[in-house]
Amino acid sequence: MNFARTFEVFRQEFAHNLKRPLFWVQILVLGFLIYMMSTGKAQIGSGDARVGGKKAWITSEFAVGQMLVMLMAIVYVFFVSVAAGMALIRDDEQKVGELLHSSPLRAGEYIWGKYAAVLATYVVILAFHIGFSMLCNHVLPHGGNAEFIGPFSVAHYLRPMFVFGLPLLVLFTGTCFAIGGATRMPVLVFSFPIGVLLLDAFFLWDWSPAWLPLGVNRLLQFADPTGLRWMKETWLLVDKGVDFYNKQPIGLDALVIAQRFAIVAIGLGCVAWYARRFASQLRGVRVTPAVAQAALAAPPSQAAAPAAATLAPLASLGMRAKAPGAVAMTMEVVRTELYQLVRTPGLYLFVPLILIQTLLNEYGVGAFDTPLLQTAGSLASGMFNTLTLLICMVILFYTTESLQRERGTGMGAIYYATPLRTGAMLAGKALANTILALAIVAACFVGCVIVLAVQGQVSLNPAPFAIVWGLLLVPTYLVWTAFVSAVFAVTSNRYATYAIGLGTMILSGWFQMRGKMNWVFNWDLWSATKWTDIGTFQYDALPITLNRVTWLLVAVLLTVLTVRWFERRERDATNALLRMRPGSLVRAMGALTPFLLPPLVTGGVLAWQVGDGYQGAAAKKANLDYWRKNIQTWKDAPAPVLAGVDLDVKFEPTEHAFTMKGSYTVENATDAPMVRFPVTVNPRWKKLAFTTNGAPASTENRAGLVIVNPPVPLQPGERMTLGFSYDARHPDGSSRNGGYGMEFVTPSSIVLTGFSGVTFTPALGFFPDEAVEEGKNDSDPREWPEDWWKHEHGAAIPTAGRWFDVRMKVDVPANLQVNATGEKVAESVANGRRVTEWRTDHPVRIYNLIAGEWQVKKREGVAVYYDARHPYNVDEMLDALEGARRWYGEWFAPYPWKQLRLSEFAGWPTYAQAPAGNISFSEGIGFLTRSKPDANAAFWIAAHESAHMWWPNMAMVGDGPGCEVLSEGMAHFSTLLLVEKMRGERQRQSFAKQMESRYGRLRQKDSERALVKIDGKLPGDTRIWYDKGGWVLWMLHRFMGEERGLAALREYMAKYRDAEVPASLEDYLAIQRAHAADTTAFDAFTKQWFFAVVAPKYLLENARLEKDGAGWKVKAVVHNVGDGRMTVDVAAAAGERWPEAGKKAAPWKAERTVITIGAGERVPIVLHCAFQPEKLVVDPDVRVLMLERNKAEVKLAPAAGPIAMR
Amino acid sequence: MLEITGLVKVYPGPVAALQGIDLDVPPGMFGLLGPNGAGKSTLMRVLAGLLEPTSGRVTLDGIDVLDKPDWLRERLGYLPQDFGFYAHLSGRDMLLHLLRLKGVQAPGGLNGLADELLERVNLTFAAKRPVKSYSGGMRQRLGIAQAIAGDPRLLIVDEPTAGLDPEERLRFYHLLAQLAEQRLVLLSTHIVEDVAVLCPRFAVIRGGRLLARTTPRAAREAVAGLIFEGVVSPGELPELRATRQVTQELLVEGRHLVRLYEPSGAAPMGFQAVTPTLEDAYLVLMRAGALPGLETSAAAEVRP
Repeated sequence: MNFARTFEVFRQEFAHNLKRPLFWVQILVLGFLIYMMSTGKAQIGSGDARVGGKKAWITSEFAVGQMLVMLMAIVYVFFVSVAAGMALIRDDEQKVGELLHSSPLRAGEYIWGKYAAVLATYVVILAFHIGFSMLCNHVLPHGGNAEFIGPFSVAHYLRPMFVFGLPLLVLFTGTCFAIGGATRMPVLVFSFPIGVLLLDAFFLWDWSPAWLPLGVNRLLQFADPTGLRWMKETWLLVDKGVDFYNKQPIGLDALVIAQRFAIVAIGLGCVAWYARRFASQLRGVRVTPAVAQAALAAPPSQAAAPAAATLAPLASLGMRAKAPGAVAMTMEVVRTELYQLVRTPGLYLFVPLILIQTLLNEYGVGAFDTPLLQTAGSLASGMFNTLTLLICMVILFYTTESLQRERGTGMGAIYYATPLRTGAMLAGKALANTILALAIVAACFVGCVIVLAVQGQVSLNPAPFAIVWGLLLVPTYLVWTAFVSAVFAVTSNRYATYAIGLGTMILSGWFQMRGKMNWVFNWDLWSATKWTDIGTFQYDALPITLNRVTWLLVAVLLTVLTVRWFERRERDATNALLRMRPGSLVRAMGALTPFLLPPLVTGGVLAWQVGDGYQGAAAKKANLDYWRKNIQTWKDAPAPVLAGVDLDVKFEPTEHAFTMKGSYTVENATDAPMVRFPVTVNPRWKKLAFTTNGAPASTENRAGLVIVNPPVPLQPGERMTLGFSYDARHPDGSSRNGGYGMEFVTPSSIVLTGFSGVTFTPALGFFPDEAVEEGKNDSDPREWPEDWWKHEHGAAIPTAGRWFDVRMKVDVPANLQVNATGEKVAESVANGRRVTEWRTDHPVRIYNLIAGEWQVKKREGVAVYYDARHPYNVDEMLDALEGARRWYGEWFAPYPWKQLRLSEFAGWPTYAQAPAGNISFSEGIGFLTRSKPDANAAFWIAAHESAHMWWPNMAMVGDGPGCEVLSEGMAHFSTLLLVEKMRGERQRQSFAKQMESRYGRLRQKDSERALVKIDGKLPGDTRIWYDKGGWVLWMLHRFMGEERGLAALREYMAKYRDAEVPASLEDYLAIQRAHAADTTAFDAFTKQWFFAVVAPKYLLENARLEKDGAGWKVKAVVHNVGDGRMTVDVAAAAGERWPEAGKKAAPWKAERTVITIGAGERVPIVLHCAFQPEKLVVDPDVRVLMLERNKAEVKLAPAAGPIAMR
Repeated sequence: MLEITGLVKVYPGPVAALQGIDLDVPPGMFGLLGPNGAGKSTLMRVLAGLLEPTSGRVTLDGIDVLDKPDWLRERLGYLPQDFGFYAHLSGRDMLLHLLRLKGVQAPGGLNGLADELLERVNLTFAAKRPVKSYSGGMRQRLGIAQAIAGDPRLLIVDEPTAGLDPEERLRFYHLLAQLAEQRLVLLSTHIVEDVAVLCPRFAVIRGGRLLARTTPRAAREAVAGLIFEGVVSPGELPELRATRQVTQELLVEGRHLVRLYEPSGAAPMGFQAVTPTLEDAYLVLMRAGALPGLETSAAAEVRP
């Protein structure tokens, strides 16, 4: 290789790259994103959200590395593919190849010079990225986010650049360069980046169920070229604490080092391979001697030309020409475009790509990592984003190349001089590309069919596909095609079109990620819609419709602009300037008005809907006004308690509306007369009116807080009737961008509760926490005194402090059935309406109402109301309900109500709630799952919700810190007991592992507080309530022993079931302590698990397996690198503990030892086994909560030593 | 009748490619002759509706084709100077595609017509080969086939014989001659022979300006008796170039054969009067900028 020649090639290409719009658009996009990230809080999920708490710096190596990798995978990759992939194709199109290669320039010099220039261009961009990040983070002033900026360290930027950035650049540039060179097909160069992005964004970066074997996980880490999966799985999923992330470098292991070298080798290898191929084909493709012989032996192919004079005159051909119609022209263009389309491999790459993506749905998991039972709707909806991304990418590339084709092939002069109408040409090309899009959609459909067939449970229903892909995706396709065409028409430059198209997609994604998108601008409906079999798009039909119509009209406008601007006749620069004169512009706008006005009108209506909707500016203001107006006056003001509820409610579900006329019996439970009291109402309710004891009430509405003045002061212990009436809607107007409320009224599903917010009924009191908006009026959590629980306090659910009776009369359309709190005492159907009346057979603390079109399956005292299409897990749920009634009743207290019902609702929100006797249960979390021993969401969640009948429906908990552990933690703990009782030890361990895994992944080490301190105000608190709370309560129960533990539980229930002051966690522990056999040990246990933050993490070091006479000896050191002192089993084991039914497996054998190990301690162990053990496990029975359980297990092999495994 | 009035085209730079062309082109064959860079292709592209002029007017049979490019396209056959085809299509499929786009009809159907046209340009043997395997001459012939297809009122051919071997060039001359009987054919070329063979009328363009509009006969007559030929030694050439209007210097069998233009009509020493060719007239025009007796175009003003 001659350096001077190579450098000359490099110099030319490099200089050219630096002048391209592609380069500068990427610089602009990156600059914008980097600046925005430096002003925001794009840090890793660690730290302490409290004022002055430790914050994760956006300047740490971890933060820089994570952001760099994501930007490279999302932003760089497509720009790189265009620049690298087109480098050789462009020379072809400019026809400089023969000139270049007739010079002394060698093939290798040409290829490597070109490649080096492309790589150098992106190294320059990467250097800009890093340099600009340093500038924005450390030089530009920071006000509000200064605490997220750490001290400057050049290593924090350079190490991620060298370890993650540069290898990725080499991979992307090398592969795209080689693909472009080898195929000379522009569209194909984008196949690699699209494949990487789809696989990463929709699978590799997030799919990581707790049951995934470590080996498979490591393989997937290796397969992700960005390194992000490795980074997340190795360092980020389990929070290491903010000090670690802020100060430590990203520790590299053998896997990632090997991977980084591998991807550099693949990138450079592709270039080297192509350089050899290019050199061998530079003088034409070689043919075999046999082919050459045959060609030489063949007669000349050119027949002797007939003399011109012998031919009949042209006139004899009778040619005529008449411009064909628009349809004929369009179809002709389609035919030719398709001819070329099917002969390029793009089709055959993108189709399998989407097929693979679709088939991965088979491995989709939901709550508790339970495999999802996919339905046609969930598949259609689940693939919506993937299809949108892939089709938009494909359309960007195919449309651009299609429009460029005539210019690229040199055919433009002939083509554009034909009578072919510009509109027909554009339509024809768009239609041909539609075939490609359809092929992708068809492949996706085939994938969905395969998934459904493999599942073998849900039948194929084409309707959801038609609705989701037809009505929602097609407008996206049309508007994007029109946009790309319009950009090409304006710029007449394929690279500018790519740059603007990619920039648009990236910025759209940015606004999506930042939560700044709304229905008006969400042109591709990214993540805005949610499928439910029960009420297809009923929740937000209007904004969806307006959005699609608006963007269809935008597509029409863009199409008109494209037809007008498409440069079939090269514009004259002087005339172009003249057309910019005001008069010309006004005339042009006038001509466009018929196309411009409709989308402006529909978009305007949609904007008004969003602004006026329940997530709009007016609603936010009303919420803040409620807080501002009343916080100083009404905070902690006493309110009466509920002593009875009587409701008459009539629903008009098609309007999302209901009319309420009802009353509360309220009681002054304080020691002082109550002259006035606050009642919180929904500020959007209409025709709101109150009565006191049947007479119009004297009230003052203070921004949603109604102050009721009783005719005479309400004396201590005195009751009165507070009547109310209003018209309400839920959802009231449009959401902002597809957010779904917990409660709603739709034609096929209604969920309303009387305890969460004021969606259904007024709430007695003032609730400032309900009006807190992040970044506006939020605050640090309250610091409670140590003995707060000894003083009087309220209930966690303010309206649920007392037992009361409820009567509800519910009027719904006759197609709906109703389940309300209590027993149905009357039902009538007339004039298309169903009227039911409900009365509680035993007092309650919480009430609700659910309606739907259901099938029902009942057993003694329990019933599941479900959509007819979702019968799959009903028996599993019934088992849980039935078991709960029996076993919880036996363990804790008898179940007081006649029925325990579970009713399915449309799965816009995915949650379940358990007011007395009437569980509402989303279709999305248990009805559509595939239960298996390792993951059984249907049973587990039903058991959890059933446990809420006891905790807190019977034993209400207080409103202080730690109390929710007695509700959510107790429900999880009860579930562990019930699962073990009814489903066995294997499922108990699986459920415990799931809880442990969720706790490990979602805790924030620096802000985690002791269980008695958790109040739900910090990130991660909720998971601690549920998962750590449940785990620790179960460990405590085991510590106490079955008999003592249950006795304590029964005493707790008996004491707090009717208590005036609800329970705290400290109250619960006091009762448990009274039953403990060893109070010293009890105190030691509770001190670390309830009053401190501990999380053991065990490693097995120096594990060795040696022959020991006829048996085997295992030696190892157990190291607790976490916190806490616990007694834990260590077992050397072999065989399959729970073999799958019908599968042959070696029997389970285990040899155990028990150790007690504290924080930071190392304990050596020796185990003698009569069998050859295969693995060494700490806590084989899953009895001690720990972090990263997969690291507490090693494989044992006599020669090779230990291998880490799950 | 094609009427071009005050046609100006200024490219950003700025480069004035056409500086006010006024030209009436009657039905039949009309040649546009000029050196490379004279503005011929710019003029052809403007006439074909592919390039917007800076100013000026072009009408065909009274219709302003700059305002109505769609009207023109339905009546246009165009062979550009530089063009390509869809590489993966066969020659026949490519031609059929363009025939359909042009709305060409024939009594025997399009397939038969495509075969006939391919035969006319001697491409029958390669009809089913992909265009990417065609030589430059074959591509040029395929371009000719599409240009002559249909019944174009105006046929614009820009450097059509470039890349054609003599036999094919002759074949093309015949085709064009047939076509010119009933329509307007505008032949742009820098090859004087093309004009001499085909065009009863032609115009000469240089530097974006029209130098002459004439016939081959008139052009030849304008220099009749003024062209002289002689053989000179290499040493005499520099002085001859300095003192005379040398039009051609040819090496014939090792001797320097020189033709020169002598406006006075007096034969220089050693030179003999010869019958002028069109090329003589063209070259004299290129050097002198004008010829007595030829109609010329006044320099046009560039209109904003």
